Amino acid sequence: MFDIDSKKNGIFAKFAPLAKRAEAVSTLGRQPFGMTFDAMLSPTRARVGNAEVVLAGTNNYLGLTYDPRCMSAAKDAIDRQGTATTGSRLANGTYSDHVDLESALRDFFGAASALVCTTGYQANLASISALAGRGDHLLIDADSHACIYDACRLSDAETIRFRHNSPEDLAKRLSRLPAEGARLVVIEGLYSMLGDVAPVAEFVDVAHAHDAMIFVDEAHSIGCYGTNGRGVADAQGVLDKVDFLSGTFSKSFASIGGFCVSRHAAFEYVRLVSRPYLFTASGSPANVAAAHAALSVMAEDTSRMESLWARAHQLHAGLVDAGFEPASPTGPIIAVPRPDELTAVREWNALLRAGIYVNIAVPPATPQARSLLRLSVSAAHSEAEIDQIIGAFRQLSALAA
Amino acid sequence: MTSDTSAIFDQISKILSAHAKTDTPITPETRIAADLAIDSVEMFDIVMEIEDAYDISFPIEEASDIDSVQSLVDTIGRLTDV
Ligand SMILES: Cc1ncc(COP(=O)(O)O)c(C=O)c1O
Repeated sequence: MFDIDSKKNGIFAKFAPLAKRAEAVSTLGRQPFGMTFDAMLSPTRARVGNAEVVLAGTNNYLGLTYDPRCMSAAKDAIDRQGTATTGSRLANGTYSDHVDLESALRDFFGAASALVCTTGYQANLASISALAGRGDHLLIDADSHACIYDACRLSDAETIRFRHNSPEDLAKRLSRLPAEGARLVVIEGLYSMLGDVAPVAEFVDVAHAHDAMIFVDEAHSIGCYGTNGRGVADAQGVLDKVDFLSGTFSKSFASIGGFCVSRHAAFEYVRLVSRPYLFTASGSPANVAAAHAALSVMAEDTSRMESLWARAHQLHAGLVDAGFEPASPTGPIIAVPRPDELTAVREWNALLRAGIYVNIAVPPATPQARSLLRLSVSAAHSEAEIDQIIGAFRQLSALAA
Repeated sequence: MTSDTSAIFDQISKILSAHAKTDTPITPETRIAADLAIDSVEMFDIVMEIEDAYDISFPIEEASDIDSVQSLVDTIGRLTDV
């Protein structure tokens, strides 16, 4: 597709195997990675070329991207503060809106400290890399998101992986560690690829029994689980025992940005040392305002969360009835494993032709090197739209033939 | 090789051959990624198996520098010798 200079030591030579893989994918239709939407029509609809598609892979769990409260908060912030902060949180990039959002997050989660970062990726990088230093140990779930792995690389601590969702395996690995150094266990509430939920309460017990602190990334679970969407730790009754909880504004909050809250006030010191917090510009006024508005919606009103679950049950049951085997029980993320990458790509194209956009996920972004059609449900989906998605899956083998 | 390291080599060869995607015979000089087609994600899984086999902590940062079977054997020798 793009010329690769085949000269030995050419800087692009390493991309040759990738180019071959992308080429194989592109012969099957549209390029699924980084495809373009020509117009957005609503939280659940877009135009691709001349065709209208139903969006079934957006992470827009509460469907707030077009909510009038979030939209007007963002527009008003631009009118008041302009389009950008043009600076780091430590310098000129902290506005009262950033501080107010941190205060609202502390209230919502009952936390002593809250840090708002420019993206969720950076929130994990910022907090994990600063908390775990030389001589410390990070213990991470084997299926952790890439940003948790990257946070470990940025940290000076040593990283030990434990088997996915296994508190017993974590206990074994914790008990092998030397007595010196702090220990931080990192898990996710809801795993983004397969849509499985962590036994957070058990992990909390194991971590604390072994003198470790626990960090839970609730990027996908906030807005979906727990009281008013406080997440999986809250749903399992252990929110007050979790030491650090991170999240993103890019999913249920219908914005962009991320945060980490902690029940430990000393977490505030992370602000002064953390490179991913310091060496990047702060979230734009519109993004901060939209996230804050979404948080207020969540705190006041659970009707969207209820719709989300009603649609999730409808979609999960419909897919099972159509003969598919989702990787996990009902939830906002429904992953349908496929036999291999090319089948997944062929089916992804067939669904798009039938007017349904889903995510496609392939190794190395997926656990156990699986190829997946990944769907996410939104509170904004209508019953009819979910039926349309199920209908396309029913005909999938014919459509993809 | 000392008797210790040759025992490690034997055990590691078994673990690696279960993950290898080629039939390349495993020697100390074998390169794990290039010759056995074991990628970095799979190497992390192998690290967990090794931790359990030797009852040690094997930080993944140590795995990133490992290229040959010999360097893996040396690392395990160092991690078990504490
Ligand atoms: C588990 C997890 N953590 C963090 C992030 C990063 O969020 P953001 O999109 O805000 O960078 C994501 C999303 O991509 C995620 O899936």
